[in-house]
Amino acid sequence: MGCFHSKGSKQYPVFEDPVALASQTTFSVSEVEALFELYKSISSSVIDDGLINKEEFQLAIFKNGKKENLFANRIFDMFDVKRKGFIDFGDFVRSLSVFHPNAPAEEKIDFSFKLYDLDSTGFIERQEVKQMLLALLWESEMKLTDETIEIILDKTFSEADTNQDGKIDKIDWQTYVTRNPSLLKVMTLPYLRDITTTFPSFVFNSKVDEVAT
Amino acid sequence: MNQSELKVKQSETLNAFHIISLSEGFDLSPLFEEKKREEKEELRFATTKPASSVISKLEDLAKSVKFSVRKSESRVRLEGSERGRKGKLSIEAEIFAMTPSFLVVEVKKDGGDTLEYNQFCSKELRPALKDICWTSPAENPTPA
Repeated sequence: MGCFHSKGSKQYPVFEDPVALASQTTFSVSEVEALFELYKSISSSVIDDGLINKEEFQLAIFKNGKKENLFANRIFDMFDVKRKGFIDFGDFVRSLSVFHPNAPAEEKIDFSFKLYDLDSTGFIERQEVKQMLLALLWESEMKLTDETIEIILDKTFSEADTNQDGKIDKIDWQTYVTRNPSLLKVMTLPYLRDITTTFPSFVFNSKVDEVAT
Repeated sequence: MNQSELKVKQSETLNAFHIISLSEGFDLSPLFEEKKREEKEELRFATTKPASSVISKLEDLAKSVKFSVRKSESRVRLEGSERGRKGKLSIEAEIFAMTPSFLVVEVKKDGGDTLEYNQFCSKELRPALKDICWTSPAENPTPA
């Protein structure tokens, strides 16, 4: 937890160096700087502390800070790599990098697998898929009979679960997604290609401490 | 000439992951959209009618408002003939089969002015689709 010396002036946590972040991700330095503009506006929307908390994330996605959603929670948890309860700039850039159209498929496959593995057991279980399906139906105000839900789950698992043990492991997922690339559509944000025009970066400001290398 | 026949093959049936990926919680694009966010309606409804019924409803609607129709696989695109505030209004409907007898239709604005699109949805689209909806069309709730 960063300590904040509140003596009238705002103290932000140290932001990671854009050059370092660019080298770790599919983004260029100017794209990282553009992302910083976006990050600044999201992270200051509720509490101006240089970090994105759950409410600020929900506000950015749903335009409603109080809206709870299973899937947004999963995305938040995936971005919050160190499980601190907030997303820092490094988390933000590295996670968004996976959504870049040019990011390697392996990264997208890996991210989506972990996303759907709700309890992080290393397997996507039938119960988890059912839970997500029910959440989607509830979110869309649609109802399906229990029977239809089971049919959908049967079909999904008969295709994806190669050894039919009721669980989809990493290899199963890789195979399945390679055969059905449309399943990875959710893992690409075309907007990331034009990020420098959407968020023109200004001179990277002095709030950033030079990270000693 | 079976132009309004959209055979939904077993292989095209959606699986649970396709359905799950429809969630707006997975859609990070609002992070990047323009600051001045117009409330865009996205209509999604389910139907037990065959895809051909959905398509003919859309075609009938298009005819009544003088929109042109373009079909491809599981999509239907309607385009207005007059230029509105931001060009011609165009709407795209995509038909997903959750099971061979249960479809989900997603309607989105494809081009043109959002306010005109919203008006079109409430005045023309919803009434036209009302009797084939299995559930009431889900609206993305406008934030408080």
